[in-house]
Amino acid sequence: MSSAPDTGDIGSETAEAPAQDAGTSPSAGRAVGGVVAVLVLGGLARYLEQTVPDATDGTAFGEIAAAIEYPVYAIVLGLLGNVVLTQLGLRDRLAAGFRTEFFIKTGLVLLGASINFAVIVSATGPAIVQAVVLITVVFAFTWWLGGRLGLDDKLRALLASAVSICGVSAAIAAAGAVQARKEQLAYTASMVIIFALPSIFLLPAAVDALGLDQAVGGAWVGGNIDTTAAVTAAGAIVGEEALQIATIVKTTQNALLGVVAVALTAYFTLRVERRAVSARPKARELWERFPKFVLGFLAASIIATIYIGAVGSADARPYITIVNDLRTLFLILAFVSIGLEFRVAPLREAGWRPVGVFASATVVNLAVGLGLAVLLFSGFSAAT
Amino acid sequence: MSTAEPHDDPTVGGARRTALNEDWAATIVGLLLLALVLTGLVPGWLVP
Repeated sequence: MSSAPDTGDIGSETAEAPAQDAGTSPSAGRAVGGVVAVLVLGGLARYLEQTVPDATDGTAFGEIAAAIEYPVYAIVLGLLGNVVLTQLGLRDRLAAGFRTEFFIKTGLVLLGASINFAVIVSATGPAIVQAVVLITVVFAFTWWLGGRLGLDDKLRALLASAVSICGVSAAIAAAGAVQARKEQLAYTASMVIIFALPSIFLLPAAVDALGLDQAVGGAWVGGNIDTTAAVTAAGAIVGEEALQIATIVKTTQNALLGVVAVALTAYFTLRVERRAVSARPKARELWERFPKFVLGFLAASIIATIYIGAVGSADARPYITIVNDLRTLFLILAFVSIGLEFRVAPLREAGWRPVGVFASATVVNLAVGLGLAVLLFSGFSAAT
Repeated sequence: MSTAEPHDDPTVGGARRTALNEDWAATIVGLLLLALVLTGLVPGWLVP
């Protein structure tokens, strides 16, 4: 996400990450140590994902093991690593190496290579409609409810941006736009992750229980879960086509973050703080806040589409398979990082009102998002 | 509106800069890996 930018989600920007960035940046050694921890746990997750189904085949656990997707191993191992490192007093020291944002975005760029560009083009229309309606409705509801419960305007802006757009990234962009305090950003980031974690498992279960097809389920997942990393995890659990649609929908939301950030900047400057700074939002600001990885995602899709067209599907398949394996590795590292970053302490410190606002907004997001997904993506196929 | 970067809190600014850098880094690394695979420089056995 970005710096302004963008995107999506979780990561470096997690609850305590902003605090680290504040003044003293953690030593390179600690960051390397954190990366090593992520790699070790990620390697273990990959090993379990590849060996457990075969090892348990024919046993009572066999069917369950076959149904467990790699995000589950990665997140569970990340959470276990979180507990162990916390007990050893190492978690906060190594946190600089838990680069969820980098891992997830690299994985999403690689994911672009598995999606025919024609699918992206055909899905972008409904994805934009869904994103605009969802962001507008959920942002407005969250802002309104936060006001009714007496929340600070800046915290309202952060919560509304996070729950309606793309989680931590949106909170960071909004924090810059409205000049929020670091405590407010850290708190919002924590809440995003705490809500996202169970949704990784609950939404795929709901998709299954409601009998939604892959496209509708993917659109629902992509439009509702706040963080891009969690969207990817949930989409992968639902299925490959759902993952592709969820990613396109979430990427579209990410791309709209710049527009919302600039609008917030203008609103807080002119209406809330009534500063006499005149200025229209500049195109440069929109570009600065645009999630650049979206360009990589689109470029990868175009490159792979052209490549497959040039050499033929059969000859291209082995290479695309390698790219998909690389994508899975980066996503595993991102999911491990999610588990390692998880913290509940900030919620206890903030009281029930922001939690109530966020939870209520999530419910609204789920209901409106389901309606839009059914309306816009029923019958849609990512098959080419 | 600014034009000016509106984050007084250095923590917020730091988080935004970090995120921006990761954005570009992920884009470059992802496309580089894609290019290496498609040109045959990263064989399948190298990727677990």
